[in-house]
Amino acid sequence: MPMKITREIKDSTIIITLDGELDASSSVMLDEELSDPEIMKYSKILVNCKNLNYISSAGLGVFISHLQRFEDAQIKLIFFNMQDKVRNVFEILGLDLLMTIVSSYDEAMTIADE
Amino acid sequence: MLYKTNAKSLLVTIATISWALLLANILLAAESARQPGAVKFALPYINNLFIVVFIVSTFLYHRVNADSLRGIDFIGHLWNLFSKAGVAAYLSLALYIGYNLITSYANIQSPLLLHIVYHVVFGLLVMFLAKAFYVWRQLLLYHKNKFLQIAWNWFELLIGGTLLITVFNFNYTSYIFLPLLALLVFYILFLCTNLKWVAYLSFNNKSRSLVLLGAILLSCYIFFHFFYHTPEKELLVIDYTNIGFLLLAMLFVGMYTLAAFLVSLFSLPTSSVFEQKSEDLINFQRLSQSIQQGQSEPQVYDMLFQSTIKASDANAGWFELVRNGEPQVTHMLNITEDNIERIRYLLLAYDIKYIDYINNNLDRNAGFRDLALPWKSLIILPIKSKQHLFGVLYLMKDIEQGFDRETVNVLRTFTSQTILTIENLRLISESLQTERYKEELKIATQVQESLIPKKFPADSWFEISSHAVAAKEVGGDFYDFLQLSESRIAIIIGDVSGKGISAAFHMAQMKGIFHGLMQQDMAPSEFMRQANSALSRCLEKTSFITSSLYIIDYSMKGFKFARAGHCHTLYYNAMMDEVFYFQTEGLGLGIIRDQNYSKHIKEMYYDYNPGDVMVIYTDGIVEARSIENEEYGEDRLLYMLKQTYHLEADDIKFAIINDLTEFTGPDNLYDDQTLLVIKFKPTELNE
Repeated sequence: MPMKITREIKDSTIIITLDGELDASSSVMLDEELSDPEIMKYSKILVNCKNLNYISSAGLGVFISHLQRFEDAQIKLIFFNMQDKVRNVFEILGLDLLMTIVSSYDEAMTIADE
Repeated sequence: MLYKTNAKSLLVTIATISWALLLANILLAAESARQPGAVKFALPYINNLFIVVFIVSTFLYHRVNADSLRGIDFIGHLWNLFSKAGVAAYLSLALYIGYNLITSYANIQSPLLLHIVYHVVFGLLVMFLAKAFYVWRQLLLYHKNKFLQIAWNWFELLIGGTLLITVFNFNYTSYIFLPLLALLVFYILFLCTNLKWVAYLSFNNKSRSLVLLGAILLSCYIFFHFFYHTPEKELLVIDYTNIGFLLLAMLFVGMYTLAAFLVSLFSLPTSSVFEQKSEDLINFQRLSQSIQQGQSEPQVYDMLFQSTIKASDANAGWFELVRNGEPQVTHMLNITEDNIERIRYLLLAYDIKYIDYINNNLDRNAGFRDLALPWKSLIILPIKSKQHLFGVLYLMKDIEQGFDRETVNVLRTFTSQTILTIENLRLISESLQTERYKEELKIATQVQESLIPKKFPADSWFEISSHAVAAKEVGGDFYDFLQLSESRIAIIIGDVSGKGISAAFHMAQMKGIFHGLMQQDMAPSEFMRQANSALSRCLEKTSFITSSLYIIDYSMKGFKFARAGHCHTLYYNAMMDEVFYFQTEGLGLGIIRDQNYSKHIKEMYYDYNPGDVMVIYTDGIVEARSIENEEYGEDRLLYMLKQTYHLEADDIKFAIINDLTEFTGPDNLYDDQTLLVIKFKPTELNE
């Protein structure tokens, strides 16, 4: 199943929705999306993982590689609506301590506004 | 073969005897005709019978004797016909002139001698006709189809049937037979249109064949004239002209010779075209065969350049290879580099670059006129496939309209064949290259296999069993151990993100780090910190490594471990009879590449009991998927250990792997899978 990535903009927040499986080939798409200089204009990046069914180490690698850049630019990266099995992958690797993962959109927006 | 030889000699004998008997009969008849009182006992029926027997046996002999066509040596065939049969006419002529000389010199009238001469000429005629008949059959049936073969068989049968007219001494000129004979004449005309072999003659061969065909035609004429216009005809007792068969055979031979002569004559001017076409064909073939002959690209371009110049009759031209967008002239004909440069500049100005271009009137174009080139037509043919431009061919001619549609079509065929050949050559070399890569990958696989320990130290206090498969030739999973002291052993497991060669390199690196650092005997958390710092310098940005390190101390009956983002350790505690996962925190290696990493790694110490089982694995196990795309999962793994913890380490491992294979189905491996089962054995009583 191919990955679908969509963008939605709300004020200073950009919401990226991931739909499908994030494997080695689709992670290239994600990398292109996150490398877009346009993204750096926003102060918050919300990633909607509701329909993200699977994440491979390549997909994790893309988030990891951009993590430092967003931190340096003081851009908040927040994941929400994550499925349990995907969340488990994040947790095993220890990424839940580095990245903000919340359960709902509202929660994500409140954290983002802090 | 023996039968054929026997038949031949039999036929020759019959022909000779019948001819001799016929001669004797005629002489008798002639003698009795001279003496009016004598009894006429020579009957026309007997004569006719001998004639028919002679004709049939001679024709049959040549039918059996006809040698098959060898290749397209038509000239040899014609020469054979002329030298063995055509000459008979000239011999007859000489004989007749000799007879006339003798009679006029001696001034005597000898009907006997005349009859002998006449009869010899008759024999020669039949031989000539028989030979010519079957030589023409061979040529007529060249490239035959079924219809033509049937038509010929009927012709032979019908013309043979006319012999019956002679046998029964009918007059073939009677109105009953005339329509029949007229039909046969049309049949002959139809057969005479089958002259396919003429097309295969080259210009030189056609001229030679014209001479031979002319000589054969002359032979026909001599015979014809001899039998119809001999002045002494009225003196003869027998007239061979009333044998309808001979007339028809002569008509066929003569007509076919004439048709061949005329067709050769009129196709003479066009034969160079056919020669050119067949040469083009041979050149196409050479191009397409150049792969099997192991030729290189330059040789293919050589062939292209020479063949296209010949095919288009171009006066000048050049070929340039395009390497990295830069043209490089490799072939030139009647042109200077200076002129090439000037033409190129002009084409560039017209924005003509690497496209099909034909200009059949250069003088009409101001730019070309200014160059004052000696050529009037130009064609540009790029050698390019969909993805790749190999080179460009330029051909020039010193006449206007030099490249007509036909020529352009032939040239295009040459270029497309060249493209095909070059692409195939490249494919072959690519596949050889791939083969080499595969070979190297095989070596990498072997190297990697040697990096993974085959045997763990066997000891009385624990047993260990391992399973490892890679999804590709080389994998990113690894495990290793190091005996730190007599009672302490370090075991490491890890997984490099990604697969393939780069993962394999990092895996080797990790093994080096493990052995290097553990020489200093450090705590697992310290090892992870130092390993993270070492890997931060060399791991690419998107890569990371997950790993767990266990240091088991037999003397303390416990183990210390740290988990760096690796899968949770599955454990069976024999004392509490409980199976669970160690829930410890720890970040993968290479994710944070500074001092902050130390905040994210924890260490744990655990006392083990005899009978405890530890299961260490990589995500390839728990993330393995079934056909229905379901994950194997931690729960199923835990359940499996619950069922099997009482078994030996080897059997626990086999049980889990069997269950896993059953779950995923065969040949459904997408990620490397590694599984280690460690079982602590009860302390032996005698210790």
